[in-house]
Amino acid sequence: MRIGHIVGMSDDTHTASSETNTTTDGFSRRTYLSAAGSATIAGLAGCAGSAGGGSTPTINIITWEEYQEMEENIEETLDVNIEITPSSSSSEMFTQWNSGQDEQFDIAVPNNNLVPNFIEADLIEPLNRDIVTAYGDMYDKFQNLAETQFSADGAVHGVPVRFGWYGYAYDTRSVPDHEPSYSIMFEEDYVDADLDGEIIMYDEANKTMPVTALYMGFEEALEGDRMTFSTDQIQQMRDRLIEQKPRLQGYISSDPTFIQEFQQGNFLVGHSGRNEIIEMRTQGADWVEYVVPQEGAMAWYETAVVSSASENKDAAWEVVNEFIAPDNGAALAKAGFSPSVNPAISEELSSEENSLYGSIDPSRLDGMIPFKAISSDVEEEYESAWEAVKSA
Amino acid sequence: MATESQESRNTDETAHESHSGLLHFRTVERILSLSLNTTAVVLIGFLWIPLAIMIFLSFAENTTTIFPFEGFTLSNYAVTVSDGAMWNAVQGSLLIATVAASIATVLGVLASLALTRYAFKFKELYRTFGIIPMVIPGIVLGLSLRIYFQEILGILPGFMTVVLAHSLYGIPFVLLIVTARLYSFDESLEEAARDLGAGPLETFKDITLPVIAPAVGAGFLFAWIRSFEDYIRALFLSGPNTNVLTIWMFSKIKNLDAPELNVVSSLIVFGIAAALAIAMNFGNVSGYVAGTVTEEEEA
Amino acid sequence: MAISDRTEELHSSLSQILTTKQGKVAITAGPATVWILLLLLAPMIFMVIVSFLEVSRETYDIIFEPTLKNYQALFDSSLGFWESPFVKALLLSYGIAIISTILCLTLAFPLAYLLAKRGGQTFKVVIFLVLLPFFTMYLVRAYSWVLMFGQGGVLNSTLLSIGLISEPIELLNYGVFAIIVGLTHAYFPYMLLTLYASLDGIDFSLVDAARDLGASRVAVMKDHILPLTAPGIVGGSLFVFVPSVGAFITPRFLGQGKVQMIGILIEGRVNGGYAIGYASAASMFVLISIVAAMVLTFRYVSIEELGGG
Repeated sequence: MRIGHIVGMSDDTHTASSETNTTTDGFSRRTYLSAAGSATIAGLAGCAGSAGGGSTPTINIITWEEYQEMEENIEETLDVNIEITPSSSSSEMFTQWNSGQDEQFDIAVPNNNLVPNFIEADLIEPLNRDIVTAYGDMYDKFQNLAETQFSADGAVHGVPVRFGWYGYAYDTRSVPDHEPSYSIMFEEDYVDADLDGEIIMYDEANKTMPVTALYMGFEEALEGDRMTFSTDQIQQMRDRLIEQKPRLQGYISSDPTFIQEFQQGNFLVGHSGRNEIIEMRTQGADWVEYVVPQEGAMAWYETAVVSSASENKDAAWEVVNEFIAPDNGAALAKAGFSPSVNPAISEELSSEENSLYGSIDPSRLDGMIPFKAISSDVEEEYESAWEAVKSA
Repeated sequence: MATESQESRNTDETAHESHSGLLHFRTVERILSLSLNTTAVVLIGFLWIPLAIMIFLSFAENTTTIFPFEGFTLSNYAVTVSDGAMWNAVQGSLLIATVAASIATVLGVLASLALTRYAFKFKELYRTFGIIPMVIPGIVLGLSLRIYFQEILGILPGFMTVVLAHSLYGIPFVLLIVTARLYSFDESLEEAARDLGAGPLETFKDITLPVIAPAVGAGFLFAWIRSFEDYIRALFLSGPNTNVLTIWMFSKIKNLDAPELNVVSSLIVFGIAAALAIAMNFGNVSGYVAGTVTEEEEA
Repeated sequence: MAISDRTEELHSSLSQILTTKQGKVAITAGPATVWILLLLLAPMIFMVIVSFLEVSRETYDIIFEPTLKNYQALFDSSLGFWESPFVKALLLSYGIAIISTILCLTLAFPLAYLLAKRGGQTFKVVIFLVLLPFFTMYLVRAYSWVLMFGQGGVLNSTLLSIGLISEPIELLNYGVFAIIVGLTHAYFPYMLLTLYASLDGIDFSLVDAARDLGASRVAVMKDHILPLTAPGIVGGSLFVFVPSVGAFITPRFLGQGKVQMIGILIEGRVNGGYAIGYASAASMFVLISIVAAMVLTFRYVSIEELGGG
């Protein structure tokens, strides 16, 4: 967001604002106080806690916590100084960058469905394929997805790093084997077990609404690069979720809480991503089974983007290239229990690790629908609907 | 004190009440005393439950649940203590909290004096605005302050901005406590000092301040803790180089590192326990904090 | 020598300023005024202005066309006024906050009284024990409560294993009750210390004198103690009430996402689609309602009438 931007006139907001730090109407940022004063204060602010790196550029990254595992490795390989700020939410990354943090950070790694927002808010750079050489090693599937989901003006704007998908998990000790389907969450008699108050849904509109849509047969709206529900469909999904609510144990979005409560026996069926379950398996919980429902699964892939306001764009793209390099990719996969988009990492992992989060047959991803942003026309209704569900 | 004369009027009416009570005076005293003590014990127990669980889990193998218990281990501590980012975050937050709380305390104490002693225009407005920083939802305060700093003042988020924001956020806490204390402050003490020739600064330093010290201390403490624990404002107002503990911790949530959370919190508690214990026994801080109470030790 | 000369000059000129009433007000009320003008005014103005503006859904930029849409959207619901998420969340938040405040007050007052009356060893030990949990990080405390509640939580498991119940109790499951417990626990020390701070100023020898002269405990409480501690009660209540209204970590964990308080709603709007117009309008509402309640309370507990002197 730029305070001085007056929208509502021309559609082309891709101005030279990032180059010259002025916006279309000449409102220039950062000139309200005397430049000397603010420069001093800014210098003090920046100085607290950081050592000057001389000629090596500092690349500031806001990303998931496990990226810190690669920090040293990348710093050695590339002769840059890496500062990682951990974040726990993609939407928070976007809110931050949109309110000015894009000037302080070079790289962010949000989930794929948020990247279009970054593009539209004019925050990120098109991909520099000359630098990100490993891009071509990615599974074709992801190269295609990147082209569809984050293209603007004919260029791709982000690099997928790791991926996963959402299905559901259940406690095999109490829930009998069954044909995997979202019906288990929405219908009482789908399995021969009392699941009243034993179901968990994900606490985020973008994860739970699409699942409801799939259950209700609205797959068509999930094709294309945005979710294009009609107002009527949204209201139907909302009502269905409100109907479901009494049967829920609750909504959870935090992985450790999910795992903690699953282990405690607080619920039997949980809407979750794959990595939580893999983690539980590695901790010895062999009673948990993870399945992909027949209606389809939503897939995510975290994506590295570079800020248009970055002063070290080339160095930033080099760092991004490292994210998908085999050795760093393997470290990331291990830290987060999610596979990398680069199949070459399987060489760095043991066969057991590979089966869990290493080499995944790309065809497994064929039936999956990537998470996507909601279309702008219905965004308001979509958000209100979710709010109404949470208030019910 | 004004209430004295009121009481002597009331006693005539109530004097016979104690004789006509059903229970013996002593018994009532004992029951009250017992229930007060019991309440105190129960309350302290209640306050300690999560703390006990946390410390327990920090030493446990099983990281996410209490049962099934898997045995004690020090590995959680080993992992956390060697985490450089953790120490940076702790240091950063300690510094931010201390500076911010200090500013808030100075401003707040002065403002409290103004509110309780002097009449001036817009006094109610002043007090309202003094409390508003605490009332504005954190995410909105954080976001708007950030935009203000960055777009209007040209200050990039970092250490300074967090400190400024937290110092603002801490003022209401100091204000409310110190004004509460000042209301029951016996001004005759100050008058006596002035009669004896003390100037306003001396009076404040030697008479007022020691008496209200517990309240000032409590205000500082609140402002400090609110800063130390704050996530949402710090999130918006910190920069890539600012080390904030809550942000570090929140990222651990997403990454399933619960053991580190328990360990860090336990370490903080151990540290504070030691600091408090030392301060309370040596340096007579408790005497200072207890202030006038030590004069009135009674069974 | 020069330095101490200067400090003396400073000292005497300060003392001089402090003789006039204007000087006194300037020195005491001044600094905070400056701070508030510099730091608080701008964000508040921003919040007010943005609440009348919309954010473009296409570019996530602010559109500078004043509109009442945000305020309308707060109350707009195809299901009816009382079903609008904002109204429901607001009322729920107030309800939970009021209950937590009352709980804190009734639990903390006796303890604060005890602390203020006794001294010495008791005081030291109790303060130590009360302050320590205060320093645990809020986030981790919330986690521990998550362990306690729930069908398979520590509370239910313990009760089940000692045979007091045969099935997990619904009350001990996540929900409003758990949130109230969590909030009360989180903000209890604030109430306690604030009450203590104002009880600290009470001369208990006077209380004893009154009792000796035959005043009943109730009368003493009503006529002497409560009036003097009223500001402390108000202050402590604000410390519990205000953060409880806007809480979002506690309800998210202990409500298991099923209980939508106003803090969660506002945060959801900011992070979901950058709808800061709506979020600002909602925040304005919360701010104004709380400030109104505060002003009324302070009027009731009038500044001038109190005070020992």
